Amino acid sequence: MAISVRDNLSFVPQGSQPPLVRNEAGHPSFMITIDGKQMQAYEGQTILSVAEDNGIMDIPNLCNDEKLEPTSACRMCLVHIDGVDRPLPSCNTPAQPDMVVQTNSDELFHLRRTNLEMMLSDHNAYCQPPCQVECPTHIDIPGYLELIAKGEMKEAARVVKEVLPFPFILGLTCPAPCQKGCRRALVDEEIAICRMHGHAAEWNLLDPPVPYVQDPPTGKKVAVIGGGPAGLTAAYYLALKGHYCKIFDMQPQLGGMLRYGIPEYRLPKDMMDREIQHVFELGVDVQCNVKMGRDFEIDDLFEQGFDAVYLAIGCWTSNDLRVPGEDAEGVVNAIRYLGDKVEGKPVPVKEGMEVVVIGGGFTAFDCTRTSLRFGAKVHTMYRRGRTEMGATMEEVEDGEAEGTDLQLYVSQTQVMTKDGHVTGVEFQRNKLGEPDASGRRRPVPIPGSEFVLNCDTVIPAIGQAVDTKVIADNQGVKWTKWKTIQTNPHNFMTDRTGVFAGGDCQMGAQTIIEGVAQGKLGARSIHSFLMGEKMDDVARRLELEERRPDLFDIVPYKPVEPKVKMPMLPYEEREGNFELIEMGYLKEQAQREAGRCLQCACPAAGQCDLQKYSIEHGLADNRFHDGEPTDYHDYEVDLSHSFILRDPNKCINCTQCVRVCHDVIGPDCYGMFGKGFDTIVSTPFNVSLHDTDCVSCGACVQVCPTGSLMMAERNLSRYSFALDRCIFCGDCVEVCPHGALGETPNFELSFFNRFGEDISLEKDDLANAPNYLVRQRLPRGKKELPVMSPLVRPLPARSIRD
Amino acid sequence: MPKFEESYRVLRRSNDPEVRSLEAYRKAGGYAALDKALQEQTPDQVIQQVVDAKLRGRGGAGRLAGEKWRIVRQTADDQKYVICNAYDADTRSFAVRSMLEQNPHQVIEGVLLTAYAVGATEAYIFTRSSNGASTVILQQALQEALDAQLVGHDILNTDFSCTINVLGVDIGFMGGEETVQIAVIKGRRGMPEQRPPFPAQYGLWDKPTAINSVETLANVPVIIRDGAAAFASVGTAISGGTKVLTVYASPTSEPVVVEVPFGATLREILEHAGVSASEDATRAVVVGGAEGGALPLSLLDTPYDFDPLEEVGTIVGSGIIELLPLNTCMVSWAMDRNRVLEKETCGKCVPCRLGVKRITGLLEGIVSDLGVNGDLDVLDEFADYVPNGSLCGFGVQATNPLKTAKRYWPEHFTMHVQELQCPTGTCAPVRAHRFVTKHVLP
Repeated sequence: MAISVRDNLSFVPQGSQPPLVRNEAGHPSFMITIDGKQMQAYEGQTILSVAEDNGIMDIPNLCNDEKLEPTSACRMCLVHIDGVDRPLPSCNTPAQPDMVVQTNSDELFHLRRTNLEMMLSDHNAYCQPPCQVECPTHIDIPGYLELIAKGEMKEAARVVKEVLPFPFILGLTCPAPCQKGCRRALVDEEIAICRMHGHAAEWNLLDPPVPYVQDPPTGKKVAVIGGGPAGLTAAYYLALKGHYCKIFDMQPQLGGMLRYGIPEYRLPKDMMDREIQHVFELGVDVQCNVKMGRDFEIDDLFEQGFDAVYLAIGCWTSNDLRVPGEDAEGVVNAIRYLGDKVEGKPVPVKEGMEVVVIGGGFTAFDCTRTSLRFGAKVHTMYRRGRTEMGATMEEVEDGEAEGTDLQLYVSQTQVMTKDGHVTGVEFQRNKLGEPDASGRRRPVPIPGSEFVLNCDTVIPAIGQAVDTKVIADNQGVKWTKWKTIQTNPHNFMTDRTGVFAGGDCQMGAQTIIEGVAQGKLGARSIHSFLMGEKMDDVARRLELEERRPDLFDIVPYKPVEPKVKMPMLPYEEREGNFELIEMGYLKEQAQREAGRCLQCACPAAGQCDLQKYSIEHGLADNRFHDGEPTDYHDYEVDLSHSFILRDPNKCINCTQCVRVCHDVIGPDCYGMFGKGFDTIVSTPFNVSLHDTDCVSCGACVQVCPTGSLMMAERNLSRYSFALDRCIFCGDCVEVCPHGALGETPNFELSFFNRFGEDISLEKDDLANAPNYLVRQRLPRGKKELPVMSPLVRPLPARSIRD
Repeated sequence: MPKFEESYRVLRRSNDPEVRSLEAYRKAGGYAALDKALQEQTPDQVIQQVVDAKLRGRGGAGRLAGEKWRIVRQTADDQKYVICNAYDADTRSFAVRSMLEQNPHQVIEGVLLTAYAVGATEAYIFTRSSNGASTVILQQALQEALDAQLVGHDILNTDFSCTINVLGVDIGFMGGEETVQIAVIKGRRGMPEQRPPFPAQYGLWDKPTAINSVETLANVPVIIRDGAAAFASVGTAISGGTKVLTVYASPTSEPVVVEVPFGATLREILEHAGVSASEDATRAVVVGGAEGGALPLSLLDTPYDFDPLEEVGTIVGSGIIELLPLNTCMVSWAMDRNRVLEKETCGKCVPCRLGVKRITGLLEGIVSDLGVNGDLDVLDEFADYVPNGSLCGFGVQATNPLKTAKRYWPEHFTMHVQELQCPTGTCAPVRAHRFVTKHVLP
C-alpha cells in the first residue's frame, strides 16, 4: 500500500471515445499519429505494432517478441505520448484513438542510452576482441592464446599462420598494436600477445605446421618483386593456393628490411632464415641479386609467361635532412649503415666516436642501439616529444637504459663541417604548435635557442621513401603524389592490369606487420584475379571484410593476475654484444601468460541486439569500471546441456526465454530467481538445463537478444525417425525454430517419404530439408521398414479397440 | 489546531469500546451502512457518495477512489474483482496491523460496499503473513461475518453475493504494489506490470478490478453511514477524511500510531503523537517510509496532503513520519535507504534493478570519501533517470531519499566530496574502490 505512481495519465472513460470505423476487412480501426504521420490502428494493438506495421522500424527493444506477451522490462521502447508526463513503453501501451506519439527525442535517446549503459555495467562478458581488430592481419588471438595455455603449441602456430606466415619473426619485431587494445589492461596489465605467437612458432621452427592443405597446382605463374615481409607473405599464400611463384630480389639474401634493416640483437638472422625457409618448402622459387629497372622490366616478366606481378619493392632510400652540409663525409645513410653491419662490412662507427642520430622512429633507435653496441657515445635527437615518437615506448626506454643521450624538441639547422668532414650539428629547440595533417602537433622553432653538438658521425633516420627509378615510365604503373605506387585501395591492383603492389612501396614506410597484412590481402586479390573474378567485386569484398567493426567498452570483472615478464638480457651485458636481448619464455611461463587472456570474444557478436543498440547509441564508454566485486556478478557457465549453452553473465533479464518456454513451447524450464540487484533468469533450483524438462527445441536460443543462450555445435551425424509412428502431421516442421525440417511441395505427406527410403538422415540432409523433393513412395508394408535402435523402436501395434 | 480527538474513524482509541467481535461492532453501528446501501441505494449512488466525500486512495497515488470504481463499474464484463491491499510494504508501518487488529469488521464492510458498488462478486484481502496476529483476527472476523450471512451468498437477504478470500504472503517491499498482488493471486512471480492498461479495466485474470488500500476501504462504511458531507467536513478541500500514520521519534524508538485529518501540518501531527522536534536535537523529518524524502525542520508547517508533500519532494507513501537525530549525515542516510531499496526491487526493469544499485555505489563512494565533483552530477542525472525509466511506482519513488537529501542538505555532499570528511563525523568508509570511466578503446 505504499507503492504508487502519481502520474497524470487518467483513466479514459469508455463512453468518451469517438465511434470506431471498420476497415474493408471489418476490423474496427481508428487513427493515431506517430511521429507526425497519421496511421491506422486496430483495437487492442500496441503502439509498437502499429508503428512497425506502418514502417517505423527504429524503435529499439530488447525484451519483446511478436510471439510473446509484452513485459516492458528493458525500457528501450519508451515513447512520448502527448498528455502523459512519463515516457511509456510502446510494446505494452495500447493504441487509443487520437493518440499522438513521438518515438524519438533527445530525452528518449539519453534514457535508452543510459539503459544500455546500465545493462552493460553488469554484462560480465565481451564482444569482439579489440586485439584482433587492432592487428592488421586480424589473427585469431583469443584462439591461439587458449591453445598455448593448453600447451598445444603446434596448433597455436598453425592458427597464427593462417594469416601471418612468420609468427616467430613478428614475435620479436612487431610493435604489437594488438596489445594496445588488450582488455586485460582494464583489469591489470595487457597480455604479451605478440611474444606469445613468437613462442609458439619457436617450438615449431624446424617442423612448421602448414595452415591449411595446399591446393593442387593451378598452372598460373606469379612473379613477386622483392623478398621482404610483404613479398614473402604474398608468395606464401599464393603458393598455398596452388600458384607457381618466383621471388626476384636485388639483395644477395632474402628478407628485405627484416634482414638489412633490423639489427641482430632484435632478430637473430639464422632463426629468421629458418622461418623464411617455410615459404620455399611450399615450392616457391627465388632469384637473388637481380634488380628491376637494371636487369629486367615488368614487360619482360609477362613475356616470360607470368600471369601476374606483385611489386613489393619496399622503401630503400632515406629522406634528406634538407639542411646545409648534409653531403659532407661522416653523414651516414641509416639503411646502408644497418645493412653493412648485417653483412659484416666495415661501418663508419667505432668505439669512442661521438654519433648523432636524428629521428624518433624504429630506424633511429636501431641505429642508436647498434652504435651503442659498437661502444660509441650516442646522442638521439628528435624534434617532437616522447608520445609522438614512432618507436615503441619499450624501444625508447631500452635505448636510454643502454646509454643514449635522448634529446627531445630539437631540430637540426645545419651540419657543421671542416675540410668536407663532419664536426658537429647545429640544433634549435622547439615548442609544440598546432596539430598537423597527421594529427601530431607541429614543432615550432624557438628563435635564439640554437646550440651545436660536436660529433664524428651523423646518422639521419627521418624516414624512407620508394626508389622511383626502379620502375620505368613506360611500364604502365603510376605514382601517387607521395611517390608511392598507385593502386586500387582495396584490391591493390595498379593501373596496369595484372600488376599488383603492396607493402612499404604502396603505403609508404610502415611497420612489418602492416607489410605482412598487405601481402596477405595482395595474395587474395591476385588469387581472385587469376581465377578470373571481376576486380571491382574483389575490391568490394575485401573492403567489407576489412571494414573496422564498432567496438565498445563494457565492464569486465575478473580477478587480478600479474603479467609474466619477459626475461631480458641485463643492460650491463649488452655493450658490444649483438646477441638477442629477449631471452624468451619457458613453456610454463608462456602457458601462464596465455592463460591470462580473458577470451573476450563472444560467439554472438554481430547477432547480439545489445551490441547493435549500444553501437547505434554511440556507447563507447561506461562509467562503472573498477568497482567492488559486489557491484558485478560472476556466474558459473552451464555447459552441461547437449545443445544449449547458458552463460548467465551475459543475461540482461529480458525474460524472453522464460516466456517462450512457458507460453509457446511448454516445458517451463526457466524462471526469474532472486530479488533486487541479484535477480537472474535461471532454471528451477538452479539445476543444469540438462535436468529440466527441456526438449532441446532451441526456441530460447532463438529469442535470446544476447549471447547468454547459445546453440552448441552438434556432434551428431545421423538423426533417426520412427517412421511407422510418424503420422506426418507436420507439427515438427511448424515448430522447428531452425527451419531444419521441411515439407515436400506435395503436401499429401502420408503417401510420401520426405527423407528417402532410409529413415536416418545425414547432417547435411537435415540442413537441406526445406529444399527436399519427393523422391520415393512410402513403403506400404511394415516388413519393409528397417530395424531401428531400441530408443526409437515403435510401440507394439494396437488396434483401435484395445 | 485541528480537532484530532474527534476525527478518529478507522482506529479506536484506548477509551473507545472494543469492536473486534461482530456483536460489539454491530452494537456500535456496524454493518448499518451495508444494510443501508443494499436496501436503499443503487451502486451508482454509492459511487457518487464516495466521490462527493473526496475519498482519495490512501495507498499513495491520491486518486479519487470513486472515479476508479466508476471505471470498473462501466467496463462491460461478466466478472469483476475487488482486491483489498492490506499489505504493509514497509515493515515499519503499523497502519494496517492496527486497523485489522482493532477494527476488522469495518474493513470487511468496506470491501463488501466496494464490491456492491463496482459489481464484483469476488474479493481478495491481501495481507502480509509476517503480521500473523492481524491476519488471524481478520480471519476470525470473516468467519463471524460468514456465519451471520454478511459475506457469501445473498448477503442480508438481498440478491447481492460476494465471497472474500484472505491471502497472507510475505514477499518483501514489492508485495505492496497492486499489480504484484494481481500476479501473486494468479500464481506468478511477484513482479509488477506496466500500466496502462490499468487494473480498473484489465486487472486480475484480465477482468476489471478495483484494487484499493485497506485504509481507503475502511473509510467507505463511514461515508455511507454518515453521508458524504459529514465525512468531507474533516480534511482539506481536495482530500476528505483522515490518514493513519506511524510516528517514530527516532529511527530506533517505539512507534506511535495516530489518525490525523488531511491538512494537519507536520508540526501538529508530531505534537499530537507526543513527539517533539527541536533544532538542537533533530536533523530532519522523514515523511513516507522507505521511499520517502527527508525534510528540514523549517518545512514542519507543510500540511499533510498529497500535493503539498509532493511539492516539497516527498510522498504520503507508507504513512510513516520519522525524526532523524542531529548527528545524522544525510549522505549516509540516503546511502542506507538505497541499500535497502536495491535489495527490495523486483529486478524486472533495468532502471530500477541497476540504476538504484549504481546510485548506491556512487553514494558509498562519497561516504567513503572517494567521491569527486562529477559524481554529484551523475547522481543528479540518475535521480531523474530512474523515475523516468522505471516500470512501477517503486522505481518512480526510489530516488526520493537521494533527491531530498541533495535538495535540502547539499553541504553534506560537498563536504564529503571536497573536504573529504563527514559533516557529522559519523561516516566510516564502506568501500575501497570508486567507479571509474575507462575509455580505452579507439
